[in-house]
Amino acid sequence: MTAARNCLTNDPSGRLPGILRRLANLLGPFLGLAAVIAFFAAAELVQSFWRSGQTPGEFLSSYHSTFCTIRNVQTVLVQTATVAVAALGMTMIIVAGGIDLSAGTALALVATVFACLLRAGWFVAPALLASLLVGCAAGWINGALVSLLRIVPFIITLGTMTFYLGLAKLIAGETTVRPGLDQIPAWIPALVTPRPNSAWLLVPPGIWLVVGLTIVMEGVLRYTVFGRQVVAVGSNEQSARLCGVRVGLVKTAVYTLAGLFVAVAGILQFARLSSGNPTSGIGQELRVIAAVVVGGGSLSGGRGSMFGTFAGACIMAVISSGCTMLELKNPVQDMVIGIVIVAAVILDQIRRKRFGP
Amino acid sequence: MMKRCYLLSLFLLLSTATACCGVDTSNKPGVPKQYVIAVVPKATIHEFWKSIHAGAIQGAKESGVKILWKGPLLESDPESQINVVQDFITKRVDGICLAPLDPHALTGVVRDAKAEGIPVVLFGSQLDAAETVVSQVGTDNAHGGAVGARHLGQLLGGKGNVIMLRYTAGSVDSDQRENGFLDTLHKEFPDIRVLSDSEYAGASAEMALDKSQQLLEKYGDRVNGIFTPCQHVTLGMLRALEERGLAGKVKFVGFDSTPGLVVAMREGKLHGLVLQDPVRMAATAVKTLAAHLKGQQVAPQISTGEYLATPENMDRADIRALLEPHLGEE
Repeated sequence: MTAARNCLTNDPSGRLPGILRRLANLLGPFLGLAAVIAFFAAAELVQSFWRSGQTPGEFLSSYHSTFCTIRNVQTVLVQTATVAVAALGMTMIIVAGGIDLSAGTALALVATVFACLLRAGWFVAPALLASLLVGCAAGWINGALVSLLRIVPFIITLGTMTFYLGLAKLIAGETTVRPGLDQIPAWIPALVTPRPNSAWLLVPPGIWLVVGLTIVMEGVLRYTVFGRQVVAVGSNEQSARLCGVRVGLVKTAVYTLAGLFVAVAGILQFARLSSGNPTSGIGQELRVIAAVVVGGGSLSGGRGSMFGTFAGACIMAVISSGCTMLELKNPVQDMVIGIVIVAAVILDQIRRKRFGP
Repeated sequence: MMKRCYLLSLFLLLSTATACCGVDTSNKPGVPKQYVIAVVPKATIHEFWKSIHAGAIQGAKESGVKILWKGPLLESDPESQINVVQDFITKRVDGICLAPLDPHALTGVVRDAKAEGIPVVLFGSQLDAAETVVSQVGTDNAHGGAVGARHLGQLLGGKGNVIMLRYTAGSVDSDQRENGFLDTLHKEFPDIRVLSDSEYAGASAEMALDKSQQLLEKYGDRVNGIFTPCQHVTLGMLRALEERGLAGKVKFVGFDSTPGLVVAMREGKLHGLVLQDPVRMAATAVKTLAAHLKGQQVAPQISTGEYLATPENMDRADIRALLEPHLGEE
């Protein structure tokens, strides 16, 4: 199969042995992440040396990075979690050729509902279940509208974006919902405290959850019938329909599934804030979409990977952390993130040309 | 191969350039270690926070420390603010001055800072876990409300009908101002009737305008005095008064200043503004933290004062400085 395709397309990657090529494909998204980390580590080294006024020998013998430390890895991963989970669902949608602008406000809606239920004295399990259902319902509404009305998802979700914002404000009574600290079980904030309570975990349980979901979703997208149907719909909707794929059903399922991930992201946000703020999701959808795009997802559909998205989300958090370590100001940081988004897409295209899709 | 070398050198050049962006040369070798204090405001764009920045710089100069000024990347977003504080903990700064965006959400990260041995001083706003911080520097909001109540009561001669438009439910600072206002008014001016004190304006000047219009629609023919607990609510109410031709006729006292309100006061449409001193607040926060780092005892609560600007005193140098704070340069 591989040989046949190499013959047909004269793929230059045919030079690489199959196993190496697979490895390159798997690790590809993480090369960009490694580059960004190397960049900030190098910059920090240069900056510290510049300030120390020592000779290179003296300097290197006493140098400690604050950027390349376990602590910072933990912190950055915690800061990635919310965006990364929501981005997994968004990857599904983008691979299917759609977009979801309501992800941010739906995320805040779920966090608000969860906070309200806890404040009302619900047990955690039913509150959690109800909140996840709210997320699914929000996603299902998007999906049903997109496939029934056949209006572009950009418009539909632009509408539901403000609708969910309003709904969250209504539920919260236009304020921040703060359950009593005794009403929040201790394990919820512990999901995303940078240093886990059990040291053998290395990173907090919330991060392991995100990693697990990433692997599962990569499997779903690559190896299940549903996953291949999603790719087919995103690549060419007409031919997918002609091949017998029930496009409307697939789309609705994709948006509903993405709603579930948005809900998990909402719970993680609540875990970080210990409160539900209806407006805390405004602008998040753009960070989520950026994570997918930086990770190699194509906005024209048919292409994207969960590992890539996870790496993309990490890249954004690494930049924030790196800019603080280098003492750069917010405006500079905004500009750096903008440059990286474009640079990541360019690098991804170069990589694809060399090593194949 | 050439191309690789080229890319690598470009990479190194860029990282050097980025590194040098943040360089300052104040740390010369041989000079004893200078304390580095992170100052984390709620936002960076708003004028109030520009004054805070100026104050922080002033405090840093006076106490010989270095400050790192960084606000949340998304304005007024608690999650962004948590990220910034976490990054500063990882960077191992010597101390953090924080204006918490949410009394609840920031408790965890402030506890983390304490556990890592990084002292925190709060300024401007409060935190649920006050025992974890070294000191709280800020405005006595209840007293600020009382100052507003006394001024409005005197303007009305101790009688008449008053409206108070609240800010938003759940905001601790403005709740204290509102309650301070009402308590003092009831106690010291028993003949003044409060027509409405239960309406909330919301987060933007536009929402405040809508609510003000509704209130004036209902009470416009009877109201003699109005109090608003923060800047944008004052702006919204001012616009509504102007629209109904009531500006100047109804005695009007607000809280916090902005150039538009200074103009209104000069035109006689606004009869009083309760002012905080952001410059002094931030300077005091930085100096308090520096003193703590040097091993001195500091007070757990420090008030930086509440002031009243009126059309009569607004040209006095000290009041003028608070009405239109001079923006310092770094």
